Amino acid sequence: MTPKTAAKRSAKPRSAGLPYFTFRRMADGSVLLSNDAGRTAAVSGKDFARFSAGRLGSGEPLYAELAAKGFVREMTDFEGYAAACSKKNAFLGAGPGLHILVMTLRCNHKCLYCQSGALGAGGRGTDMSRAVARKSVDFALKSTNPGITIEFQGGEPLLNWDTLKDSVLYARGRGRELGREVRLALVSNFSLMTEEKARFLVENEVSVCTSLDGPADLHNKNRTFSGGNSHAHTARWLKYFIGRAAKQVPEYRTFTPSALLTVSRYSLGREKDIVDEYLRQGLADIFVRPLAPIGYAKKLWPRIGYSSEEFARFYRNSLDYIIKLNAAGKKIRERHAVIMLEKIVNGGDPGYLDMRCPCGAAIGQVAYNYNGDLYACDEGRMVGWEGDDLFRIGNVLRDSYRKVMLAPASRACAAASSLESQPQCSRCVYKPWCGVCPVYNYETQGSLWGDMPSSGRCALSLGMFDALFGLLKKPASAKILKEWVQK
Amino acid sequence: MKPGMKTEPVFLSGEIYCEEAVKLAAAVFEGRAKVRVIKAAGGVKAEISGGENITREFCGEVLNQQCRIDLSRKNYKIASLIATKALLSAAGEKTAK
Repeated sequence: MTPKTAAKRSAKPRSAGLPYFTFRRMADGSVLLSNDAGRTAAVSGKDFARFSAGRLGSGEPLYAELAAKGFVREMTDFEGYAAACSKKNAFLGAGPGLHILVMTLRCNHKCLYCQSGALGAGGRGTDMSRAVARKSVDFALKSTNPGITIEFQGGEPLLNWDTLKDSVLYARGRGRELGREVRLALVSNFSLMTEEKARFLVENEVSVCTSLDGPADLHNKNRTFSGGNSHAHTARWLKYFIGRAAKQVPEYRTFTPSALLTVSRYSLGREKDIVDEYLRQGLADIFVRPLAPIGYAKKLWPRIGYSSEEFARFYRNSLDYIIKLNAAGKKIRERHAVIMLEKIVNGGDPGYLDMRCPCGAAIGQVAYNYNGDLYACDEGRMVGWEGDDLFRIGNVLRDSYRKVMLAPASRACAAASSLESQPQCSRCVYKPWCGVCPVYNYETQGSLWGDMPSSGRCALSLGMFDALFGLLKKPASAKILKEWVQK
Repeated sequence: MKPGMKTEPVFLSGEIYCEEAVKLAAAVFEGRAKVRVIKAAGGVKAEISGGENITREFCGEVLNQQCRIDLSRKNYKIASLIATKALLSAAGEKTAK
């Protein structure tokens, strides 16, 4: 189809008409522009002043660049603009893809920052039964999303191995019967992993994810394990699963394991140590995740927390180091950057539920508690564990799928996380790729909407976006970053 | 009321703030402060009892709520279109493309 423009191109130079866009003055004096189609332009302060005053002539190269990206009203290719918006927001028609089954609330670790409301390994009455697990799998398979992921979590899910094993087999069987694509994933600290369990997981195509907070001293400081050396277990089984993934067999697909880094106060200043540890363990990705002052971490915040500026510095230093390593030929990517670059560079939706508008609560994910209670997200479940069931959307044994999807909490989260109704977000240059979290807002500021100018999460996101766009402005680092998401 | 807590009245002009914004802000401050919202000529009077700077923080929240309400009214169509599409699709109901 030929792109339609709102007005015919004129040979005569004329000033730029301004459509709706947002902008941010960057630290280096330049101005970053973005629009709802997710297109961006970085211009000098001087050029921005001319552009916004309508004094940029149509004969100038910058005019052509801005026009091509949809920043000049009368030159906008509306079909192209709409197609970009549609691609970016394709998830709106999908339904919940992530289904988190909490196999147990018990855990044999006592991590400093744990948000999951985990009990000690000896705790009773908080294991998911086979019946509830099977009902949960059936419920997940009712999702309108054609490709669902069932994630087994805890606590430590391996503490409820029998139910976990049964759920894997049941989900595989039901998926086959219904002709549905079902991805299975396990989040575990690996301390209870055995050769037999690992083999079962591999043979049933269950991908595994663990936590790795850095070298042994740092990891073990964050992740207290009375049963021994947490880091040693993590390293041992990472090696095993990486080895299995390297030797693919025709009978089943074997996935490379992944690891998550949670940054605590003790991580600050140790960016290089942490990244080097990921390389040492043979991991190709590192996911630098900030701590959230909710759950157990809220009580310990003065000891383990940090300011958004401190985290932004940590993130920037980590990215700088990772890019330096890439330039030297070592392959390692930062997952948060990859997710954002998938949106910024490719205009797609990588399925990251924390940074969406509306957020992924219920419409993108459902958390299934051990007793069958359903929550709009896993963070909402943790708030429920503290005695506040605001984010509860039903029970897998009692409520219909439709009722759950349209539950008051599902609707409230969708409405509250709309960036179009957030005073600061609606005018933020990072709006096309960002998202707010009603649970975080509720926990830290007392309302689902929150107050972005004083939100720690907003400050963290701004810092991370600033770091990323700062690097995208430099040709050498931009080349490496774009390669990370090259199709 | 806890000893040392003082009650401070504040008048919020009806030309800027609607009663809904004041009531929402009072709900957000539940547990942190005691807020009494009273209708007054030309606006709303709020009596706030709590710790230091609580009145200032409360007024900031009223402004936040008012901005959000104003923006929600302005962007109502697009915001509700997006949320409705997402919810109905998730619930399995067909929506217009």
